[in-house]
Amino acid sequence: MDEKLSNILFDDLEVGKRSGPYDFRVSAELAANLADAIGVAQPVEWTPPAVFPTIFLMALRRSMGGIPSGSILAKQHLEFHERLAVESDATVSMWVGEKYVKRGRAFVVFEFDIRNAAGSPVLTGRKIIVWPNGPRVEPSDER
Amino acid sequence: MSVKAREFRSMDESISQETIDRYADLSGDYNPLHVDLDFAAASEFGGTIAHGPIQLHPFFRSVSAWLGTKEFGPGTTVSVTYRYPARPGDTLHFEAVTIGEAEDGALMVAGQTLNQDGTTLALIDTVLPTRRP
Repeated sequence: MDEKLSNILFDDLEVGKRSGPYDFRVSAELAANLADAIGVAQPVEWTPPAVFPTIFLMALRRSMGGIPSGSILAKQHLEFHERLAVESDATVSMWVGEKYVKRGRAFVVFEFDIRNAAGSPVLTGRKIIVWPNGPRVEPSDER
Repeated sequence: MSVKAREFRSMDESISQETIDRYADLSGDYNPLHVDLDFAAASEFGGTIAHGPIQLHPFFRSVSAWLGTKEFGPGTTVSVTYRYPARPGDTLHFEAVTIGEAEDGALMVAGQTLNQDGTTLALIDTVLPTRRP
């Protein structure tokens, strides 16, 4: 399996289980490249909003050994609590908030909590992802 | 309410496979639906699609321009519902649909990211404190 991708199963995701906190630092390069048009570097002092979804993705990668292959983002929610200076230390924790099946598709709700070096909340957020596989079908269910 | 929806109309933003690959490098998200042409061609989408956060860029740029800052301040919330994916060749923009005011004076903006055909790709609701960061 490509180490950048994860094939973790829907059934193996445990609701409420926390991952992290993972240490990270928003580099000046990342912040600059997401401050305006993608890849058009514009130096900034504070972390621009477009960086935070990439921190969610980093936490997902660390938690699952890669990005879930074939997954699709359905919804996203961000709540900003405090500005985060570029090149400052921070942490991100995540957990599965909920799993469900709707109209034949499996959905996983991930919750994220980003804090600065002092432990104060910077941003909390949520991603709802269409999972590439669903619940295991038991033989009795197939009839 | 003196703020008008037209104040949030973003500039057009073109999406190419190069844009998507660049975002994959920046985010570390190499989901094959975004970067593997063969895998994506065999999927329900029939080709690669942009990462969901790419559809937020016109919105982020629009609000940043309105705020006059590149960062969002405390109390800001953003809720996104994705309806259709953006694809290479699309040109995206954000436009506000309604502007409201919360009891605490915060600005409530409901808008959407659209492509060049006028198709709504994402619905975006945001609450902006009236104080700048």
